[in-house]
Amino acid sequence: MTTPRKNELSLKAASVCRRLACLPLMCLLLPACAGPATGTEGLPSDGASSGALPAPVAVRKPTRIMSMMLCNDVLLLMMVPRDRIASITYLAHDAVEALLPGADTGVAVNHGTAEEILLQKPDLILAGTDSAPMARKLAKAVGARVVEVGAANSFADIRRVVRQVGMAVGEPGQAHALLAEMDRKLAWLASHQPARPLRVVAWSGSQAVPGKGTLTNEIIAASGADNIAARLPDSRYGSFGLEELLAARPDAILQGETRWSGPSLQDAQSMHPLIERYWRGRRIGYPDAAYACGLPQSADAAIALRNLYRELPVGRPRW
Amino acid sequence: MVRLRQDPMPLMLALLLATAGASLVIGKVWLPPVMLFDGLAAPKPNLAWVIVTELRIPRTVLALMVGATLGLGGAVLQGLLRNPLAEPGLLGVSGGAALGAVIAIYFGLAARFALATPLLGIAGALVAGALTFLFGRSGTLTLILAGSAVSGLAAAGLALALNFAPSPYAAYEITTWLLGSVAEKEWRQIALCTPFVLAGWLCLAATPHGLDALTLGEAQAESLGVNLNRLRVLALAGVAFSVGAATAMAGAIGFVGLVAPHLVRPFVGYRPSRILLPSAVFGALLLLVTDIAIRVIPTSTELKLGVLTSLIGTPFFFWLVLRLRRMSP
Repeated sequence: MTTPRKNELSLKAASVCRRLACLPLMCLLLPACAGPATGTEGLPSDGASSGALPAPVAVRKPTRIMSMMLCNDVLLLMMVPRDRIASITYLAHDAVEALLPGADTGVAVNHGTAEEILLQKPDLILAGTDSAPMARKLAKAVGARVVEVGAANSFADIRRVVRQVGMAVGEPGQAHALLAEMDRKLAWLASHQPARPLRVVAWSGSQAVPGKGTLTNEIIAASGADNIAARLPDSRYGSFGLEELLAARPDAILQGETRWSGPSLQDAQSMHPLIERYWRGRRIGYPDAAYACGLPQSADAAIALRNLYRELPVGRPRW
Repeated sequence: MVRLRQDPMPLMLALLLATAGASLVIGKVWLPPVMLFDGLAAPKPNLAWVIVTELRIPRTVLALMVGATLGLGGAVLQGLLRNPLAEPGLLGVSGGAALGAVIAIYFGLAARFALATPLLGIAGALVAGALTFLFGRSGTLTLILAGSAVSGLAAAGLALALNFAPSPYAAYEITTWLLGSVAEKEWRQIALCTPFVLAGWLCLAATPHGLDALTLGEAQAESLGVNLNRLRVLALAGVAFSVGAATAMAGAIGFVGLVAPHLVRPFVGYRPSRILLPSAVFGALLLLVTDIAIRVIPTSTELKLGVLTSLIGTPFFFWLVLRLRRMSP
């Protein structure tokens, strides 16, 4: 059951949902509940943090950090020992399993409610754009600092966000090390460009296809391929029907794989017999989690894509 | 009252034929007619051939089938219930079909098995139709009320599915599906629904005589030998099969069933039996034209069929209201 870019789409879904006036629902989808974190092991390393500079000992490093956005959750787990984390969002588990297996063991979760902020009494709240207003209102009551972290849709954004979170949690050295590793990988990719860039698209049924300005587009570009949806006229997520897909005839179709257990209608659409017939062996699965959030791991996602291109049949799809 | 002496059917059929032709040529990807004909003659498969046979013909067939079903269903129900506001969704059948299909999406059955959506949609329509009949068989008014109750139940079920959607993504999908579309369906999905649609049409085709008698009133119709219960069963079963299968395929498409009978009535007269066929043809024409408009209107995100039919249908309805107001004393 593959669903391309489900998480990225779910971000769009979320915005659609908001427009549909399910704002209260979305608020619930934000973070956290209860209980101090336990465990004092060092932060798990996915290899990306090797060579980390010893973190400068800040005078007052926050010790009860609450994250209210999925992407912040992952960054936090990479930079800070678990005993300094008050909670991460309940949405984080799948992404953490995909990117940093086991890193969230024993870490409390939140559901983004006001009550949880009051109960958990964080000293630092890492909020997303959606959750920031509510967090600010309550921060005074618990004496917490609120840092609003925007979404990262490009490698430049990732650098900005990682530095911002690193500073906020008092671990700028960790942030520096993570970014150095990411930039090393990106430099390797740039210096080993394929002779002929493949033409690909992240397509999963004819609804939203990530074009210009999306993280998926950045990862595809870094992998050395050409995202044909980037030429869509005006929007980050345009629709790209089967007719257009046939006419554009990409070399490969990227379809995200999610750990989310419920398959969806999108899966059925992306399995249209035409796709099966003409792109057999040309459908590339990728872990959704790596595309949902702009993280240092986005460079690994680009490398993984580059490796998968090698397995594609030679030439273009034939009718 | 405008009453054209000429039978509008030949004109409508000619328009329908021309529109169906245009529907094969017009698409998101512009293929010049020359290229289309070359493609059909060239060794297959090629781009033009694949697009026409696998995407545009199924889309056209489905639009015609769904449009005709809605037009016919609306005409029969307006006759049966003697109510100008009757439309195929009134008896809860569309709601039941939508709920069945949404259950298939919600539980992920649609992904494991592509035919799950239409199958469960049809099952939902039949269950809804049966419920409506069970509670409302004693008379016209109770039938409408039972239909409203079943519609309400289905709407509650849909809201529940949205409420418990496993992710915002699933909620988005369900909402989008409900907006209705005939694009990119597979031939085998259409093949699955066709027998149900045809069975429904057959049931509805047996109603005109009874509907004509019913215009005189229920008692008079019975005295003319019309079995009203049989008439209701036929209409309900016909709508459950055909509209249920159409909704299961294409999602909820509003207004066509309501507007089509009203728009043909001035041209063919007010006898219910004379409205059925023109209303079906007009419904098909209306839906196909709308579907072509969707492909032509440049939007970055696909405009959904049900959205446009409602947008186009509503002004017609206002016009209808104004006309009625002018005509009434």
